[in-house]
Amino acid sequence: MSIFTPTNQIRLTNVAVVRMKKGGKRFEIACYKNKVMSWRSGAEKDLDEVLQTNSVFVNVSKGQVAKKDDLSKAFGTDDLTEICKQILAKGELQVSDKERQSQLETMFRDIATIVAEKCVNPETKRPYTVSLIERAMKDIHYSVKANKSTKQQALEVIRQLKESMQIQRAHMRLRLVLPAKEGKRLKEKLKPLLKVVESEEFDEELEMVCLVDPGCFREIDELIRCETKGRGSLEVLSLKDVEEGDEKLE
Amino acid sequence: MGHTSLEKIIALQRNPANIRNLCILAHVDHGKTTLADCLVASNGIISNRLAGKLRYLDSREDEQIRGITMKSSAISLLYKEYLLNLIDSPGHVDFSSEVSTAVRLCDGAIVVIDAVEGVCPQTQVVLRQAWLENIRPVLVVNKMDRLITELKLTSQEAYIHLQKILEQVNAVTGTLFTSKVLEERAEKEKEEKEEKESEASGGDQVYDWSAGLEETDDSHLYFSPDQGNVVFASAIDGWDSGMAQFAHIYSQRMGIRAEVLLKTLWGDFYLNAKAKKIMKGAQNTFVLIIPPQNSWAEDKEKVEKMVTSLGVKLMARDSRHSDPKVLLSAICSQWLPVSQAVLSMVCEKLPSPLDMAAERVEKLMSVGARRFDSLPKETQELKQAFLQCSSEENAPVIVFVSKMFAVDTKALPQNKQRPLTQEEIAQRRELARQRHADRLAANQQAENQDALSLCLSAQMESLAVKEPKLEEDEGTKETFVAFARVYSGVVKRGQRMFVLGPKFDPTQALSMLSEGCSASDALPAVPHLSCCSMESLYLLMGRELEGLEEVPSGNILGIGGLEECVLKSATLSTSPACPPFTPLNFEAAAIVRVAIEPKHPSEMPKLVHGMRLLNQADPCAEVLIQETGEHVLVTAGEVHLQRCLDDLRDRFAKIEISASKPIIPFRETVVRPPKVDMVNEEVGKQQKVAIIHQVKEVSQGRLSDTLHVDSSGLVTLTTPNRLATVAVRAIPLPQDVTRLLEDSSELIRTLEQLNMSLREGRRIDVSPRTLEAITELKSQLESLLQGRKWRNTVERIWAFGPRRYGPNILLNSVEGYHRPSVWQCLVKGERSGEAPVVRDFDNSIVSGFQLATLSGPMCEEPLMGVCFSVEQWDIQSSSEPQHQDSVEEDSASHEASGDGTSTAEGTSETSAQAEGITAGPSQAKRRTEAGSVDCYGPVSGQLIAAMKDACRHAFQAQPQRLMAAMYTCEIMATAEVLGRVYGVLGKREGRVLHEEMKEGTDMFIIKAILPVAESFGFADEIRKRTSGLASPQLVFSHWEVISSDPYWVPTTEEEYLHFGEKADSANQALKYMNAVRRRKGLYVEEKIVEHAEKQRTLSKNK
Repeated sequence: MSIFTPTNQIRLTNVAVVRMKKGGKRFEIACYKNKVMSWRSGAEKDLDEVLQTNSVFVNVSKGQVAKKDDLSKAFGTDDLTEICKQILAKGELQVSDKERQSQLETMFRDIATIVAEKCVNPETKRPYTVSLIERAMKDIHYSVKANKSTKQQALEVIRQLKESMQIQRAHMRLRLVLPAKEGKRLKEKLKPLLKVVESEEFDEELEMVCLVDPGCFREIDELIRCETKGRGSLEVLSLKDVEEGDEKLE
Repeated sequence: MGHTSLEKIIALQRNPANIRNLCILAHVDHGKTTLADCLVASNGIISNRLAGKLRYLDSREDEQIRGITMKSSAISLLYKEYLLNLIDSPGHVDFSSEVSTAVRLCDGAIVVIDAVEGVCPQTQVVLRQAWLENIRPVLVVNKMDRLITELKLTSQEAYIHLQKILEQVNAVTGTLFTSKVLEERAEKEKEEKEEKESEASGGDQVYDWSAGLEETDDSHLYFSPDQGNVVFASAIDGWDSGMAQFAHIYSQRMGIRAEVLLKTLWGDFYLNAKAKKIMKGAQNTFVLIIPPQNSWAEDKEKVEKMVTSLGVKLMARDSRHSDPKVLLSAICSQWLPVSQAVLSMVCEKLPSPLDMAAERVEKLMSVGARRFDSLPKETQELKQAFLQCSSEENAPVIVFVSKMFAVDTKALPQNKQRPLTQEEIAQRRELARQRHADRLAANQQAENQDALSLCLSAQMESLAVKEPKLEEDEGTKETFVAFARVYSGVVKRGQRMFVLGPKFDPTQALSMLSEGCSASDALPAVPHLSCCSMESLYLLMGRELEGLEEVPSGNILGIGGLEECVLKSATLSTSPACPPFTPLNFEAAAIVRVAIEPKHPSEMPKLVHGMRLLNQADPCAEVLIQETGEHVLVTAGEVHLQRCLDDLRDRFAKIEISASKPIIPFRETVVRPPKVDMVNEEVGKQQKVAIIHQVKEVSQGRLSDTLHVDSSGLVTLTTPNRLATVAVRAIPLPQDVTRLLEDSSELIRTLEQLNMSLREGRRIDVSPRTLEAITELKSQLESLLQGRKWRNTVERIWAFGPRRYGPNILLNSVEGYHRPSVWQCLVKGERSGEAPVVRDFDNSIVSGFQLATLSGPMCEEPLMGVCFSVEQWDIQSSSEPQHQDSVEEDSASHEASGDGTSTAEGTSETSAQAEGITAGPSQAKRRTEAGSVDCYGPVSGQLIAAMKDACRHAFQAQPQRLMAAMYTCEIMATAEVLGRVYGVLGKREGRVLHEEMKEGTDMFIIKAILPVAESFGFADEIRKRTSGLASPQLVFSHWEVISSDPYWVPTTEEEYLHFGEKADSANQALKYMNAVRRRKGLYVEEKIVEHAEKQRTLSKNK
C-alpha cells in the first residue's frame, strides 16, 4: 500500500502496454488485454474497447503522463486519439495469453492443413485428414514455434511424423524427354532421384513418365537442363499423385 | 442339447411337409425374444423358469445390456412331429435390414403385438415387409397380463380393447392390399392406354371406373381369432390361449360342441351358463377366456378351488411362495403353457416349404423390371424345382444367402470343447497319472542333484503360461458364416457350387457354358459368376452351431467358408440357369454418415481391415473412403451406428477409434450485383457493395502499387519485376452452364487430353463418338451462352478449371491474341487465315487460373460457376540476364532453406510448384531464353502468381457467395406427424418442394431439399420427433448458392435501422465460412474477447 493514495487515483487493471519510441522519447499507452491484436487485424472497430484511457504515458505503470510538448514534437500533432492510433498501429506490444493461445492454435491448424495437403498414405495413395494429422502431431508432442513460418514447420512435421506413421509426400508425376545421345548417361544419374518409373520409351528420344518426390524436382530440373543444354525437357503431369473419387470398401 | 434331438432334427429335415420356417416380427419391446424364449424352453434347451428372463437368442453382450435384439438369430425346434426353424429378429427401426434378411428366408411370420400399445410404427413396417415378401403372418397378442394389472380393465373392456387392436392390424393389412390392387390397376390401365394409343382408333372408349377392389377377395388376409390365426398370450407369465384350445376345454365342461364354440367364442355372443346355450347379445363369451389374474390369486381358497377345477398340479414350493406373481405364473404356465397354442397355430396355419406360392417364386427369380416370362426356358423350369422343394439327389441345388455373420472361431463346432466320453476320461486319467509319476521321479532326481523344486515350479509355470497364450491366438479370429436357406435339392459338405452375383444373367451364362457342366469343372469366365465349395454346414441353434453333413431342401442353415466369394448376400446353385434372387428390400436405407479415424494414426491399416469385415458382416452398413481421405461409415441410425462402432472396436479392428462429423464441402462463386439491398430498397449505385470491399482491402494495406482495381471489377496486376501485366474480370456463369460443365466433366477431361497431345504435335485417333459428344457439348454451350455479353465466348474459351475439367471457364478476351481454342480437335486440317499462335507463357496464365479456381479467397474451397475473362496481357521483352542461376527458385531450395518470411515464401513456393505446370511444349524455347530471370524468380513463376492473384482479386471485386451441397430428401410420413416433419425441416434450413399422398394409403410423400451441412443428426431427429412414423432418405442432388452475403454489413440508413450497427443476426453464409476457415486454421475475423471490461480481473493485492 502506497501512502500517497489520492482519492482520485484511477487504478488500471488488465493492462496491456503498447510502447513506441519516437523522436528519442518513449511513449506508452494503456490498453485492454487481448484486444490490441483484434484492433490490428481490423476485427475490433471500437477504439474505446481497446484503450483504457485516452492519455499517452511515458510510463504506464508509474502513471507518468507524457508531456504535451514532447508529443507534438514527436508526432506533429496534439490530438491524443490520433497519437494513440499511431502507437496502436506501429508500437511494440505485449502479446496477451489468449492472443498467444489463439495464434498458436491457428498456426497448429494451419500446419496440419499444409501437411494433410502435401502428404498421402503410401499404401492407399489417399490423403490423410487434417484431424488425423492434428492428432498425430499431438502424439509426437510437436510444439509450434510462433516465429517460424507454418510452411517450414509443416516440412519439419512431415519428417517427424514419418517415424511414427505411414506417411510420405505426395509424389509428382513428371514426364522427361531426353535426347537419345545423353539419354543413357543421364538416366543413370537420374535413377536415384526417381521413385517409380511408370513407363519408358526409347526410340529417337528417351521418354519417361515417373513419380518423384517433390523435394527432388529442382535437382532433376537442373540436371536435365545442364546436361542436355536445353534439349531435354521436363513436364509436370500432375503435382500430386493421389487417388481421386470415392472408393467403396468391399 | 442331447444327441437324440439332434438326430431327430436331422431326420425331420428330410420331410419338408413337416418343416416350418418362420420368424418373429414386431415393434421394439413387444416381446419377440421373450416369446422365442418360451418356445425354446418348450424344447428343454433352457429351463421353463428362466424363459422370458434369459433372452436366449440375444447372444451378444450389448444386446443383453441394452435389452434389445440387434442381430437376427435362428434356432431349430421340435414340436410334435414338426421341425420349426425359428428366426428371432430385431424390432428397432435401425435394424430393419436384419428383419429383411430374416423375412426372405421364411415362409411364415409370427407378428407380435403388445396388447396395451397396439399397432406401433414398426408393426406397420414389419407387416409391410411380410407383405412384400409374400409370406403369411399370424398374430400373437402379447402382454395380456398388462391389460389387467396395469390398465385394470374388466374382462369386457379388455375384449373391446383387443377388438380395436385387431381392427387396427387389419386396417394396415387392408391398406397394403388396396395399394397393391390400385397399383396393379394403374399398371394395367397404362398398358391398356398404350395399346389404345398404338391402335390410335377414334372409337368410343369405355372407362372402367371400378377400383378393382370389389372383384378381389381379401378375406383370407385378415386376422381374426375365429380363423385361428390369432393367439392371446403373456410370454412373461408363460401362458397363451388360442380359440381352439378354449373351445376344446369348454366343450368338455359345458357340453357344447367344440365347433360351435369355436365360431362363437369371438364376437357378440354370450354364454348362458344355466341353460348351457349360447345367445346373441352385447355380452360375449370371450370374457371367459381372459384368464385368472392377480386379484384372485391372493385369495388362497379360491386358488385351490381353481387349481383343482383346472386339473393342474401345483408344486408345494410354488403355493407357499409369498409373491402372488410366482403362484400365478406357476398356475398359468401349467394350465396353458405358452408354447402350446403358438406352436400348434404355427404348424396349422403357416405354410410348409412345399406350399410356396408360385407367385412368390416368380417374384424371387425375376430381378428388377424383368418379367418372369422373359427368362430363358431352363430358368423357368427351375420354378418347378422350387415348388416341389424336393430333396432328390438329382434335383438342382438352390441356396440363398441372405447375410453373413461373424462368429468367433472358438465357437465353431470343430473347435469347440465337447463333453468327454467315458473312454476319453479314462485315457486322460491314465495320462495324468503317468505325468504325476514322472514328476515324482523327476522330483527325486532333482532332490538328488540339489536342484530343488525351484526348477519344477518354473516348469509348471511355463506350462501354465503356454496354454492360455495359444487360446488367445485362436480367440482373436473371426469366421464368417452365411445365413442361408436351401430352396431345392440337397446341399452336401464339400460340394462345389456356383455363386451368382446380383448382376448375373442366366441367359448370358447359358450361352457361354456347355450343357450339363458343373461347378467343379474348369469354366470360362462368366461375368458375375464364381465357384466355391461348401466347406462346412451348420445347424443354427441360437448361439451354438452344430456341424452337419448335408442339408436337404426347405431348411435354414449356416454355411462356413464362403467369406472369400460372398460379400453380403448371394444366390448359390448347381445350375447356371438359376437367376440371382431379387435383392433384399431394405425398409431403412443407410443415412447416418460419420467419419471414422483411429486414435493412433499408425493403426490405419487395421481400421481399413476392420471396416471391410464390418461391411461384410452387416447387411445395411456401408463403408467408403472419400477423396479427402476420410473413412466414412454410413449406417441406418444412431443405435445401429453405436453397434457398428462397438463391433469395430471389439471384434473387427480391435483398436481405439473415434467417430466425428464428416467434413462438409463448399464451393465459392460470384453472383450478379444485387438490385435491392437487404431491406428490399433499390440500390442506388449498383457497384457500391463491391467498392466498399475494395476500400476495406485497401485500408488493411493488402493492395500494393502493382494492383489496380477499377469500378467495373476489372483487376489489373503487374508482376513484381514490372514486365508483365494482366487484367482479369470475374463474371458469374449462368446456372445452366455450370450444370452442363459439371455433368460433362469426364468429356472435358478427354478433350483436354486431346488438346495436350495435339499441341505436342502427336495425333491420337479419336473415336467419332467422342468427337460427336464434344461437338454436342460445344453447341449446347453456345445455345446457353447467348446475349451481348457472351458473344463469341464459346470460341474463345481458353481453359476449364480447376484440374482442367472443372465448372469454371478461363476466357481469352485479349485483343490481338488468337490462340487455338479448346475446340481445335474438332477442326481437322483446315487452317485458314492467320494461323493461331500460342504465345510464350500461355501455360503460366492457365496454371494461375487453375490454382485460383482450386482454392478461392473465401475459405480456400474450389470455385464453381465463375468465368475469368483475361482482357489484357502484356509482356515486355526481358531485360538483360542478371545473376540467373543464383536466384532461380523452386520448392526444393525453399524447403531446405530456413529463412524467408512466410508470405514471400508462400507465393514463391506456389510459383515454383506451378512452374512445373507451365513446362509444356514451350519448354525448350523457354529454357534457351532462361535469361528472363531476376531477383523475383523466373518470369513464368511470377506470371502464375500474378495471374492467380489477379483472379482472386477479380473474384473479390464481385459480390461473393458460398455454395452449399444439397441433399434431396424424401420423407414418407403419416398425416398426423406431417406438422412435425415440417418443423424439423424448417429448423434445418430445408425447403419442401412438394408433397403428395400415396394412393390407397394414409402416407404422405414429401420431397424437400436440405443443405448437407445441416444433415448431421437429421435422420435421428426426424425419427425422434415423429415417434418413428416418418423415415427420410437422403441423396446428394446439387450445389446451391446461399443467398446471403457472408461479407455483408449494413450500409444504407434503412439497413442500419433494421439490423443495427453490427448486424450480427444469424448470417448463414458467414457461419459456414467461418467454420471452414477455423477448421483449416485460416484467419477468422473474430474478436478474441468481445467485451474488454468483462475479462477476468487479475487484480494485484493492493
